[in-house]
Amino acid sequence: MSQINLTVNPPAGDSAQSLDLASPGRSLWGDAMRRLRRDRGAMICFAIICFYVLLALTAMTYEMVSENSGGSIPTFQETCDFANYYKPPTTEKVKWWLGTDWSGKSVLFKTILGAKVSLTVGLMANLIAVPLGMLLGAIAGYFGRRIDDVITWLYSTLSSIPGIILLIAMKFAFKNVHFLGLDLSGIHGIYIALGVISWVGTCRLVRAETMKIRELDYVVAARAVGRSDMAILARHVLPNVLHIGIINFSLGFVGAVHAEVILSYLGLGVDVGVPSWGTMINGARNDLMSGYWWELASSVTAMFFLVLALNIFGDRLRDAFDPKLKNV
Amino acid sequence: MIQQSDNPILAVKGLKTYFPIRRGLLGRRQWVRAVDGVDLAVGRGRTLGLVGESGSGKTTVGRTILRLLPAYAGSIVFDGRDVLAIPPGEMRALRKRMQIIFQDPVSSLDPRMTVGDIVAEPLCVHMGMSRRQRRERVSQLLDRVGLAAGYATRYPHEFSGGQRQRIGIARALASGPDFIVCDEPVSALDVSVQAQILNLLSDLQDELGISYLFIAHNLAVVEHFADEVAVMYLGKIVELAGRDDLYAKAVHPYTRSLLSAVPRPDPARRSNWVRLSGETPSPVNPPAGCPFHPRCPLTRQLAGGLGPNQTTQIICDGRPAMIAVKCCTSQPVLGPLDGNPAHLHACHFAGANYSRSDNARPA
Repeated sequence: MSQINLTVNPPAGDSAQSLDLASPGRSLWGDAMRRLRRDRGAMICFAIICFYVLLALTAMTYEMVSENSGGSIPTFQETCDFANYYKPPTTEKVKWWLGTDWSGKSVLFKTILGAKVSLTVGLMANLIAVPLGMLLGAIAGYFGRRIDDVITWLYSTLSSIPGIILLIAMKFAFKNVHFLGLDLSGIHGIYIALGVISWVGTCRLVRAETMKIRELDYVVAARAVGRSDMAILARHVLPNVLHIGIINFSLGFVGAVHAEVILSYLGLGVDVGVPSWGTMINGARNDLMSGYWWELASSVTAMFFLVLALNIFGDRLRDAFDPKLKNV
Repeated sequence: MIQQSDNPILAVKGLKTYFPIRRGLLGRRQWVRAVDGVDLAVGRGRTLGLVGESGSGKTTVGRTILRLLPAYAGSIVFDGRDVLAIPPGEMRALRKRMQIIFQDPVSSLDPRMTVGDIVAEPLCVHMGMSRRQRRERVSQLLDRVGLAAGYATRYPHEFSGGQRQRIGIARALASGPDFIVCDEPVSALDVSVQAQILNLLSDLQDELGISYLFIAHNLAVVEHFADEVAVMYLGKIVELAGRDDLYAKAVHPYTRSLLSAVPRPDPARRSNWVRLSGETPSPVNPPAGCPFHPRCPLTRQLAGGLGPNQTTQIICDGRPAMIAVKCCTSQPVLGPLDGNPAHLHACHFAGANYSRSDNARPA
């Protein structure tokens, strides 16, 4: 066959040799991280979240140490100081910075311990919900037909029941249930209950994205090459929907923090006596009438900044990962 | 019906690809007849061009041949083996020998994979190669398609359209195929890059003896590139001939109107454009008889010279038109032209004198 005699400029635009050969390529992940790092708002929110994580880690360490110290370091429950109950915020002592509650316990320490509960609930619930939602969404979107029908039916049913009612129902169902050595009537039950009801959003988004990806030529190419469905899911589909999981992890965190506070407020969350923002709000509800505002104010403010930071960070994360910003 | 070459690498007979649709809640099942009885053959080391307007089913033919879409009926014989009868396990081995190059250089490469991983994918599936062997082979392949081996660590979005298309070609070559479906490989590229890619494909054919099914809607590209050309309309092949034969002496009115629509850098020849009336009919309810009859300029012209019982009136594009009865009652079969057995056509009046025959391109 003869060469084609169209007038051709010598390889100009096509072979842009200006690409620096030595440096590695810029992956989409790298690009997203660069965008995120340049975003000052996102970085401030990230710093706030890190601060909360640090507080939670401190609280965790304290609890572990005090429980194993055999009494030399008092646990939080043992720090009652009835002589100094309902002390308003004062700079006299560090533990009185945010005042004391009815039993003279430090509100500051209580708030920090509450951060630990909120963050672990957010983390654990999303560690269950996001992978579950991604997996089910990818399977439903990729295989379609019957499998899709079943999964769609499942999440439609689940999302038609108000979340809080479902949570309460599960909380009761988990009473005195032990599973894999975990006592589901306590905080572990909340992790699982929240995880099981909050995968729907992720699943829906991942399913829709997978249905789009399934038809793209690179998936067709992988099939033409002889890749199995499972390999295509693992190598082509999941990496291309992972950003949805990451964004939903950050946004789902907020929902989990809320849910824990509401449940604890209703007395259905953490065990009685365990300090959490929900139990603080619940306990301080009557105190407020008597003018003891600091316990409520501390827990609500702490929650406000965490939720705000998580929300803004989630939005910025979405901006950074949104492939529509980049022409790919 | 199989043309020229005696021992084709690919022979397709009576291929039908239908997609089921259901209209409404209780609607009965209907079929989109995307490919409705296609016969074609690709000779070893040769190129068959497949042209037609959008929606004519040419892409579906290519994907059905590779078993990326399920065939409804027909047979596909690749190198002596019936592709449709092969069990899934053995299909994998056959995929090594049949590959595809896509139209869209953006969506054909996974944006999260490096170029090296993309090109190495067929190697991972088919050749039990070590990581180092794979890397070496990838460099060879990239080099062969005109890209620097150092690009292997980069990502698709860092490349231009032409470069991406080269990456797609490298992937298709990786498993050492004998046959490649080129699904409009240059339609998305600008003209100077088109020529480079076509030259690359043609060099690879000379060097490796690969056969191509070259799907395109640009007749000028096909004229340069293909040995034989098949023209599709509404899921059927309406004309199939050697390249020179087809471009010089097209007999089917659809082919003629396509050829007359090719832009020529000559203002004087503009007026020869045969405008077709109406739209492409729906492949759900293809017209009875010849699928082209509602739009055919030839049958309209000939109807004037036929007796009243040989013509009938149809409504096309809201306007009445007289056409030959034969065209809307009996379906023409793809058959050889009188005196030229290599030139196949599916038209009742292919030999008829056609006053606008000056549309056929001058030599």
